[in-house]
Amino acid sequence: MRRALLAVVDFVVGDDLRIAVGVVVSLALAAAGAHAGFNPWWLLPLAVPAVLGASLRRARAARG
Amino acid sequence: MTGNPLLVLSAALASAVEMVEALTIVLALGTARGWRAPLLGSAAALGVLAVCTAALGPAIGALPLDVLRLVVGTLILVFGLQWLRKAILRAGGLKALHDEDAVFAAELAHAQAAGRSAAFDGYSFALAFKSVLLEGLEVVFIVLTLGANGGSIPLAAVGALVAAVVVAALGIVVRRPLSRVPENTLKFAVGVMLTAFGTFWAGEGVGVDWPGGDLALPAIAVLVLAWSLLYVQVLRRTSAVATA
Repeated sequence: MRRALLAVVDFVVGDDLRIAVGVVVSLALAAAGAHAGFNPWWLLPLAVPAVLGASLRRARAARG
Repeated sequence: MTGNPLLVLSAALASAVEMVEALTIVLALGTARGWRAPLLGSAAALGVLAVCTAALGPAIGALPLDVLRLVVGTLILVFGLQWLRKAILRAGGLKALHDEDAVFAAELAHAQAAGRSAAFDGYSFALAFKSVLLEGLEVVFIVLTLGANGGSIPLAAVGALVAAVVVAALGIVVRRPLSRVPENTLKFAVGVMLTAFGTFWAGEGVGVDWPGGDLALPAIAVLVLAWSLLYVQVLRRTSAVATA
């Protein structure tokens, strides 16, 4: 069961766990803003490319 | 709904990418060792996938819409970003392109070297089954999540089915790996669409009210495409500078 769960996580999360973490943090911030009475519709379109950009930068740095 | 054509297209392109990869292995097995066992293995895997889809589809569809949008939107967003990351790294020259001809040659050599029993070719059956099942699971995941959130699992399934029939027909006709299929371009396009769908639905799930309602979805897709192309250009420029 544990192995199956790990396989599912690996299937979805893939090569860079920090992408998933960045997405969850961005969504948490958007949820907090929405519940505080703002409408942070602009947050995700800014945060998502930033998360991917950071991952690509790490991949480029890892290749030297 | 604005997202329906995008939904069908996403399901079709994702299926085409995965089908091409599975087809390469099945073709190598059939060419090297005969067609019966790999075709039976593929059929068995498709049967398992059909059962998975039939079991999981109604379960996903039964979830409350807000939960569905948040959970499935987040999963699609993470999944889409992984596809996009890989496609951008390949297009930017930091990762080798997937070479169907090389995969075919390697699988052919393995298949020719592997032992064979007189009764039934278990090697071909097992390898075809595993390949079709693993590639197919990604398609099932995308079809179910896109379909459930987009309000029509059958519509997403039609997109996947059309792609599967086209790729299988091409495979039967040419009996060679479909190396001319621009696999990374397809992967790039699917990554863009999954990321756009995921951003839109996950945003709705956490309470974001998108300006323009459903019209925000194609706008997000255009935005994702723009920054993805920008990242490819940046990576190409920096890798060209590094090799100069």
